[in-house]
Amino acid sequence: MLAFFVSRNIFAAETKSVTDSLATSGGHASQLPNPIMVLPFVVLLLLIATGPIFYRHFWERNYHKISILLGLLTVSYYLVFINDFKSVEHSVIEYISFIALLTSLFIASGSILIKVNFKAAPVSNVLFLLFGAVISNLIGTTGASMLLIRPFIKMNRDRMKPYLIIFFIFIVSNIGGALTPIGDPPLFLGFLRGVPFFWVIQNVFPIWIIGILLTLLVFFLFDISNKNTAETVTEKGKWLVELKGSKNLIYFAIIIIAVFIDPKVMSWVPSLSPLPFGIREIIMFAVAFASFKSADLEILKANEFDFEPIKEVAYLFIGIFLTMIPALQLIAFESRVYSHYLTQATFYWSTGVLSAVLDNAPTYLNFLSAAMGKFGLDINLAADVKHFVIVDEVYLRAISVSAVFFGAMTYIGNGPNFMVKSISERAGIEMPSFFTYIIKYSLPILLPVFVLIWLLFFRG
Amino acid sequence: MIVITLDEVIKNKVNGLCYGNRIILPFKAHFLKVIIENDIITDFSSSSKGISIVEHEAYSDLYFLEYKMLSDDLSKYEAIKIVLVEEGKNIFDWNNHRKIALYLAEKHKVTIEETDADILFIE
Repeated sequence: MLAFFVSRNIFAAETKSVTDSLATSGGHASQLPNPIMVLPFVVLLLLIATGPIFYRHFWERNYHKISILLGLLTVSYYLVFINDFKSVEHSVIEYISFIALLTSLFIASGSILIKVNFKAAPVSNVLFLLFGAVISNLIGTTGASMLLIRPFIKMNRDRMKPYLIIFFIFIVSNIGGALTPIGDPPLFLGFLRGVPFFWVIQNVFPIWIIGILLTLLVFFLFDISNKNTAETVTEKGKWLVELKGSKNLIYFAIIIIAVFIDPKVMSWVPSLSPLPFGIREIIMFAVAFASFKSADLEILKANEFDFEPIKEVAYLFIGIFLTMIPALQLIAFESRVYSHYLTQATFYWSTGVLSAVLDNAPTYLNFLSAAMGKFGLDINLAADVKHFVIVDEVYLRAISVSAVFFGAMTYIGNGPNFMVKSISERAGIEMPSFFTYIIKYSLPILLPVFVLIWLLFFRG
Repeated sequence: MIVITLDEVIKNKVNGLCYGNRIILPFKAHFLKVIIENDIITDFSSSSKGISIVEHEAYSDLYFLEYKMLSDDLSKYEAIKIVLVEEGKNIFDWNNHRKIALYLAEKHKVTIEETDADILFIE
């Protein structure tokens, strides 16, 4: 999308009329940022994409400094040069909500241990992955991945091959979570901006079921050709599945209920403004704290619990949320001007391709901003988002589906992908490299599925 | 110095030691696979960039070359996992392949445990 605008030289315009250079943000008028300020966002996304692969140790030691530095660069620009505090404040509020949800799900799932006392076969694997796809809509793709990857590896330990983990990433860590805002971070960001909670399942379910069933079918074909295939074997005298740390299921329930405890969703909920968080976020952080403090040490040890993955998400996303402010505002503005070029297919493929190689959460927001711009609506206004859902559903459906689905195309497309890869490697499984994953698995398996979805739903 | 077997180490809960990037294990063994964080190390030759192993009369030194302080990078719940065969035993007999997990503890101590069913570890 950025390339599209650049190719039309629209970011090159140095001066705009006063009227043109005004964009609304967070319910206030603000000056449109200089296009050069998109650079920190682009640089950060490129570093996130390349750092863990090409200069891992440097990246591991410095990513937090880089992210904060680039974020501060954007904040300084907004505060000093265009005196726009509201845009920054809006992003910080959204970031706190986002990280509260992810942190609480991450810690609650890390304090649960699922033990499986059976060895897998193709049918049980298909059922397990389908269960994972459904559950990821209740506890998020991050929570479901953390919770289910270990039992999945364990039940397949005598027939372990990399494709098993890859399909787990496809189905549980990505495609599965397309039905609710809890499912995947992009959809939660949409919910925070004003997309109704149940809009997603009402509009995406037919596409979800096609995506899931086709991917499971391909998985089944792979799995029955596994030479170590055997009938499902259960260990005598034991339950098929044992759950340790079940009190954390209550924590999960509290987190899910807390998602709705927001003044924008329920009018009786008091706002804590001017504080940059609300009761929802307090509940989520309290649950995270209680869950960790009351966790069984043996479970944490068995899960090899480490704060590093969530720390990484927290640092990277503060940078992403701050540096993406100019990109969101510029895309919204320019898409109003060039709205006639933007079709549902443009949104489907652009959101998808960028979600595959960048993080899908900011990509979703950028394209939602562009789609709303077509109708002269502003993503920063919850009323505009609610109006947009009514006047259009095709663009939002295209963006929602492709942001979630295409996150499976690479290891870096969605946060849980790397977590699953990391857990698998720590278990001793040699995972395919970044490019092998794409060439051997995602292009031949996922791309045909996504093309079919495009032909069926978003060809216009 | 008395040479002790891995069985004795496990049974008597004998600890290893950790200083910086060096782990000292109180037994001798043939190492087959070492997993630290996301790194799966199977190259133990002198040209290896990941690990250097020095064997002494009664103990083994493991130097993790990509780390300065192991305690900075590993939480107390994270294990260094090792597949090994005790010295003197047949390396080609699958039954002699042992899986152990090392946990860093306070005061440079390293606890050594045989991995149980809860720990994910695929050889």
